[in-house]
Amino acid sequence: MADIATHDTDHATDHGHHSSTGLSNNKLAMWLFLGSECLLFGGLISTYMLYRGRVQNGPHPSQIYDIPFTSVSSFVLLMSSLTMVLAVSSAQRKDDAKTNLWLVITALLGATFIGGQVYEFTTFYREGLGFTTSLFGSSFYALTGFHGVHVSIGVIMLLSLMGIIKKGKITGDKAEVVELIGLYWHFVDIVWIIIFTLVYLIPS
Amino acid sequence: MATNELPISSSQSLGAVRRPVNTKGWREWLFTVDHKKLGIMYGCVAFTFFIVGGIEALFIRLQLALPDGRILSADKYNQMFTMHATTMIFLFAMPMAAAFANYFLPLQIGARDVAFPRLNALSFWLFLSGGLILNASWFLGGAADGGWFMYAPNSGPVFSPSNGVDFWVLGLQIAGIASLIGSINLIVTVLNMRAPGMTLMKMPVFTWMILVVQFLLVFSLPVITVALVLLMFQRSYGATFFDVSQGADPLLWQHLFWIFGHPEVYVLILPAFGIISEVLPTFSRKPLFGYPFVVFSGASIGLVGFGVWAHHMFASGLGPVSVAVFSMATMAIAIPTGVKIFNWLLTMWGGKIWYSAAMKFAIGLVVLFTIGGLSGVTHAVAPSDTQQTDTYYIVAHFHYVLFGGMVFGLFSGFYYWWPKVFGKMLNEKLGTWNFWFMVIGMNLTFGPMHILGLQGQPRRMYVWTEARAGEGFFNLGFWNMVSSIGSFILAVGVLFFIINVIKTTRNKERAPLDPWDARTLEWLTTSPPKVHNFDRIPVVHHLDEFFHRKYVEDETTHVMTQVAKGEDLVRAEEAAADADIHMPGASYWPLLLSIGVAVLGMGIIYGTPIMVVGALVVLFSSFGWVLEPSVPEPIDFDSPSHDGHTKEIASLG
Amino acid sequence: MDIVNNVKSSSHRIRNSIATLVGLVFLAGCATNAPQDTWQPRGDNAQVINNLQWIIFPMAGVVGVLVFAFAAYTFWKFKDRGQPIPSQSHGKPIVEIILTIIPALILTVVGVFTFRGIFELSNTEDTQMVINVTGQQWWWEYDYPAQAEQGITQPIITSGQLVIPVGTKVLLRETSRDVIHSYWIPALNGKKDAVPGRINLLRLQADKPGLFAGQCTEFCGLSHANMRMEAIALSKEDFAKWAANQQKAYTSPADGTLAKEGEGVFLNQCIRCHQVNGLKKADGTPALAAPDENVYSGAAPNLSHLMTRNTFAGAKFDLLNKTCRSDVWDASPEAIGAKYLAGVSESCLNATDLRAWLRNAPAMKPMYSDPTKLGPSGGKYRGMPNLGLTETDIDKLVAYLLTLK
Repeated sequence: MADIATHDTDHATDHGHHSSTGLSNNKLAMWLFLGSECLLFGGLISTYMLYRGRVQNGPHPSQIYDIPFTSVSSFVLLMSSLTMVLAVSSAQRKDDAKTNLWLVITALLGATFIGGQVYEFTTFYREGLGFTTSLFGSSFYALTGFHGVHVSIGVIMLLSLMGIIKKGKITGDKAEVVELIGLYWHFVDIVWIIIFTLVYLIPS
Repeated sequence: MATNELPISSSQSLGAVRRPVNTKGWREWLFTVDHKKLGIMYGCVAFTFFIVGGIEALFIRLQLALPDGRILSADKYNQMFTMHATTMIFLFAMPMAAAFANYFLPLQIGARDVAFPRLNALSFWLFLSGGLILNASWFLGGAADGGWFMYAPNSGPVFSPSNGVDFWVLGLQIAGIASLIGSINLIVTVLNMRAPGMTLMKMPVFTWMILVVQFLLVFSLPVITVALVLLMFQRSYGATFFDVSQGADPLLWQHLFWIFGHPEVYVLILPAFGIISEVLPTFSRKPLFGYPFVVFSGASIGLVGFGVWAHHMFASGLGPVSVAVFSMATMAIAIPTGVKIFNWLLTMWGGKIWYSAAMKFAIGLVVLFTIGGLSGVTHAVAPSDTQQTDTYYIVAHFHYVLFGGMVFGLFSGFYYWWPKVFGKMLNEKLGTWNFWFMVIGMNLTFGPMHILGLQGQPRRMYVWTEARAGEGFFNLGFWNMVSSIGSFILAVGVLFFIINVIKTTRNKERAPLDPWDARTLEWLTTSPPKVHNFDRIPVVHHLDEFFHRKYVEDETTHVMTQVAKGEDLVRAEEAAADADIHMPGASYWPLLLSIGVAVLGMGIIYGTPIMVVGALVVLFSSFGWVLEPSVPEPIDFDSPSHDGHTKEIASLG
Repeated sequence: MDIVNNVKSSSHRIRNSIATLVGLVFLAGCATNAPQDTWQPRGDNAQVINNLQWIIFPMAGVVGVLVFAFAAYTFWKFKDRGQPIPSQSHGKPIVEIILTIIPALILTVVGVFTFRGIFELSNTEDTQMVINVTGQQWWWEYDYPAQAEQGITQPIITSGQLVIPVGTKVLLRETSRDVIHSYWIPALNGKKDAVPGRINLLRLQADKPGLFAGQCTEFCGLSHANMRMEAIALSKEDFAKWAANQQKAYTSPADGTLAKEGEGVFLNQCIRCHQVNGLKKADGTPALAAPDENVYSGAAPNLSHLMTRNTFAGAKFDLLNKTCRSDVWDASPEAIGAKYLAGVSESCLNATDLRAWLRNAPAMKPMYSDPTKLGPSGGKYRGMPNLGLTETDIDKLVAYLLTLK
């Protein structure tokens, strides 16, 4: 729902632009949303950690993980955080052209990561790991799939934002909107670092 | 609007659809983003579900009045108790608290609306969709039948083959999204939008308790969402999360469920605590005793509430160390709860108590909740709990806490704030009848359940048998009958309230502006409040600001002298009204988006094509939402004025 | 043991003081002889719990009375009688601190006892006998593994009634074949869930011979309310007799009797799910039940020595008629052993319920046994289906079942 929250500028506060927390309403809401998301991923990660060794059918984690491949796609996602930072700072300098450029690159890197995930999923599927194959399969796809959906929503938000900026239809403070999406994007990245470490790197 | 960078003229072309401007009649409600209208709608829908859940309860008591009851089949009975709990918790208690929070929280902190008015509307419509989906299952193949705790693996596709659990899973996910959005919205509102001078420690306790509840929701809802999603994946897409033959651990569900489920208990009770922390001081003519202690005990109940979930699982085989730890933590939570009760009693001590209907219900909460709290301590003792858990003793305990506590608190709120919301007083005499019938009915219904449980009658049984009922006049059959009779007396009590509401609605007489000699900011405006709440944003100097504007204390003798009447203060505010008030305009998108989400959800049960339709509606309305101009179209309209005092308001902003 | 004694002595003191009064008032409103009363411990484990109850309940009662007395006085004393508006005092921190510390101290005391109780109850080291208890929709199976010191040399499998020797520390190893159930005999101990995929331990010990009622207490689906159990404690000698009888070889009914024809019906119909140990097919090969092919949980009650039990169908129905049944229930501790070991004779049989059950089981107890609705469970029953037996078949079967002693 983050994409919805971001643009709902604080209509009712025109007399109360003082904000006790020093954060704008939008930013505070985004932080709270991300706090809630932490527990969502916490639950999914716990489920995976509990179930990763429980394989009655199909392949074991160690049999199918392709660490080098996933490392590369993780690196791509990591780089997208960097480009997102650049987009935010361009937006703050009111440099529309550069903002757009960095947003496109961020979205492309995100899309590359998703492409990698789709490739990985199809490979795993061919190697015999379906969503219903085993507890490992169910919890692996649920966790990484949920993350993939988050990245995809991020990519859609980035592209939409670009379109809106281009047509000059942005409502509210442009730099803040870019920053909000940036917050979301960094969060999704950090979650991936955790998933990558716990799921792929630590042997079960 | 300082943020408006664009010229007004070009803003007209923004967005897919223009914001609705003509908001009269039914449109006024359908597209509203006004926190007060949304609060009223929350209240009406929640009360309707209260009736539905109540009827379900009466069916249960009818079935259990006699041994081997034949009113309901086993299957129907299981659906009935599952839906009774689900309805009361998710469709009555939480949204009713949301009704109060929505309406009064902005008023109590001197704000003109919540931080995100459209999201507020979205919360309401999503909650309504969730509630309708949950109850639609009655007509589409049977409701959920696994108990509100829906333990795995009994909730799996083999053991619960009807669609009931699917509806339940979807309805709760959608209602959960509604609560999550609502809680973020209210936290931001409290933290960012308080009137000047209102520091956190000058905030009314009701607002404080609502704030604590919203934090509980933000961090507990995602956990139940995970559980629900896993169950949905299992039931609809063949995942294996709770399939024991694949090596799954059924306790995973229990942990996920109760990590949410226990904070949820405090989500239910703390708003009622907040309400009576307003009512008791008002009708005792004294400030709340130990305000900081009440606030901090509320916060610590919230915090510790996250660390006691496994006391619902003392019989699950957790091992003695876990049991001991959770047993101790559960006892610890009794301490801040006790602090609250003492502070309420000490608030009345030395006061000048006015026994209005609102006050009667508040006192009812203090007494009945104390009984529930004490029985709660008896099952913090884990070994003792292994005799009590899943018996009627537990049913007695949580009904004292939730009915005696929460429901009485909410009714106290009805009587206290009715004149504020509708500008008319509820009848005090009918209120007294309402109160006594509910007190007697509630004690007759739930009191005997202590005995039933301690003498061995388990819960969730569609029949009980005389063979296990014991002997003597006061055997379990006697107490089951008393309980069933009590439940109908309780229902009559609720009926008195409904009659009272109808009578009050027909009554033409207006309520005075400050009928209770109240203490907090929501009374510093007309009743009902104008669209923009306050003609001028109040500047706060005291806890209980409104009271301190009316009374002055002599420094040496401590004698209170009235220096102004509430009515005069309200008129003074009107005279000094701000010149230019912008309020947010109505919007189509919250309603449309929630319809999209509901259709998307139904697609999970009824197939991909429906899902695609839903997804398209969601996508379309998300873009519509984002592109909707926050800048007003240059059509101003006169706000509906209730007291002949017209004031032009820029319609959108 | 000294822990138990400590708890006992302190609880006695409390019992002799205020608690008796409060207790008497309360107990006056209770049923007598309720079979599942949680305040009538009949063994060590239940006693440990009961001692804790006798600490916490009176304590809660006293606190409640004090709070309500204070509250009632406040409500009366400070009623609006036209007094002036009181000074707006915001409270005294010292009062708050005292009112925080007092409950904290009380709860610390309770906590210490609770802590001891928890570890006391979790002790399984000195176990003298093991029984595997398996829950499934909607009955319990008891499996006594071979343990020579209890006179069990070949495993005993039974259902409905748990039979234990008195004064023996019995360890139940609980699990489930489908959903979560919970094992509860209030007179002997608190409840413990039977969780599929896990083994949970529950210790029972009965002081005297007797019959103790229980009930599944974790909601387990359609017929949860009908999933009952009973525990029977027998003197050590009687238990040895019972165990020996359970291990007795099968004797087929004499040729030409109605019972022999009943054996044929059994071999034709019931053997699909129900095992009778030692039963042979007409060709002399062992008749083996295959419940895993027909029932979702993969098990159906083993009916060898059915007539040594007092109940059937998940202990929902009595095998004994009313008179004979209450004869066992009401028997003194000294007499119950002999009465129980007598089993079910033809004159004592509750033929009405047994025949009705054989005629149409799903009509007697809600179960998932409609053959057209077994899709989700892969065509397997959850409970006993209607076998469409004729009345003559039922006559024969009843005669046969009566021979299973």
